[in-house]
Amino acid sequence: MPARNSSLRYGWVAQGLHWGILALLILQVTLGSIADELPVGLERLTLMSRHKSVGITILALAVIRLAWRWIDSPPPLPPMPRWQSIASRLNHWGLYVLLFALPVTGWLMSSAANRPVSWFGLAQLPDFVAPDAGLKEVFEEAHELLVNVLYVLVALHVLAALKHQFIDRDGLLMRMLPGRRS
Amino acid sequence: MRLGAFALVLALCPAAHAELRQADQADGRLEFSAIQAGAKFTGAFTRFRIALDFDPAHPASGRLDVTVEVASIDTQDPERDEILRGADFFQVEEHPQAVFHAGRFERAGDGWRAPGDLTIRGVTQPVPVMFTLAPGAGTAVMKGSASLRRLAFGLGQGEWTSTEWVGDEVDVRFELRLQPVG
Repeated sequence: MPARNSSLRYGWVAQGLHWGILALLILQVTLGSIADELPVGLERLTLMSRHKSVGITILALAVIRLAWRWIDSPPPLPPMPRWQSIASRLNHWGLYVLLFALPVTGWLMSSAANRPVSWFGLAQLPDFVAPDAGLKEVFEEAHELLVNVLYVLVALHVLAALKHQFIDRDGLLMRMLPGRRS
Repeated sequence: MRLGAFALVLALCPAAHAELRQADQADGRLEFSAIQAGAKFTGAFTRFRIALDFDPAHPASGRLDVTVEVASIDTQDPERDEILRGADFFQVEEHPQAVFHAGRFERAGDGWRAPGDLTIRGVTQPVPVMFTLAPGAGTAVMKGSASLRRLAFGLGQGEWTSTEWVGDEVDVRFELRLQPVG
């Protein structure tokens, strides 16, 4: 499979970023949800700090992904009604926005809570806001709201892909899967 | 906020007679930094008193006494403060004060070293405090620092004895203005 996208299929770079980020997102919401339920203590601290490290990893991959999308245009969409192609575009850009907005609100929330972020204990990230309880609440609310938006957009994304595959039978799902035909 | 007062016998000029100094502590700061989940954060104690009896001409005698109301710990994170005040850390009900006492001084570079004993949570350990004194009109600015290991004082019981997520080393800094008593 070539690194770059063809007219029929995404290349391995775009596919790797797509599925890699999905795997990290599943890990991420799992870590975040479990940690959120835990009482204040070492276990919560441990899971939350891993959640932050994974979040920063997702943010870095999102930057690479957006840059790669700019370098290497995605394959054209198969024929579909205009409202569907508009909906598809909106959904994709919404997901891109969330890949940035979720880590950034989490990062700002950590700084506002005076719990600076470290990436796997290897590097401490700068704080762009000073500790502030009110600000922490704002970013926390935003972070929680955005993760719910993520669930909705991912659900629509998956349902649309399945509809194309099994109802329209236009082979759209194959574009994001490895295959001999490029 | 009324924060109490501290006293100082200060003779910056060896020929001068030692003066007793007292200052309003509202502009004094006693801060500490520690590592949590790989990231350094800073907290403070908002209630403390310092008494300094110091004559640079006779550094072998004199005293530096610091009393810290440990319940005044403020890391701008209510969850963390609650843990720090609790049984696993400062145990503020049983040990409301941390106390430092030094009875002599030594030259250290441009400043001074006060080799003394620090008592936290009922545990006494030798800890040197480094400081400088800068004279001002009727006041003197005292800046200092100390390094300690939290576990040597039992700060962190049970799961918190691990240093993987909460570092052992704590850096303490203070800066305050001293004024003559009376």
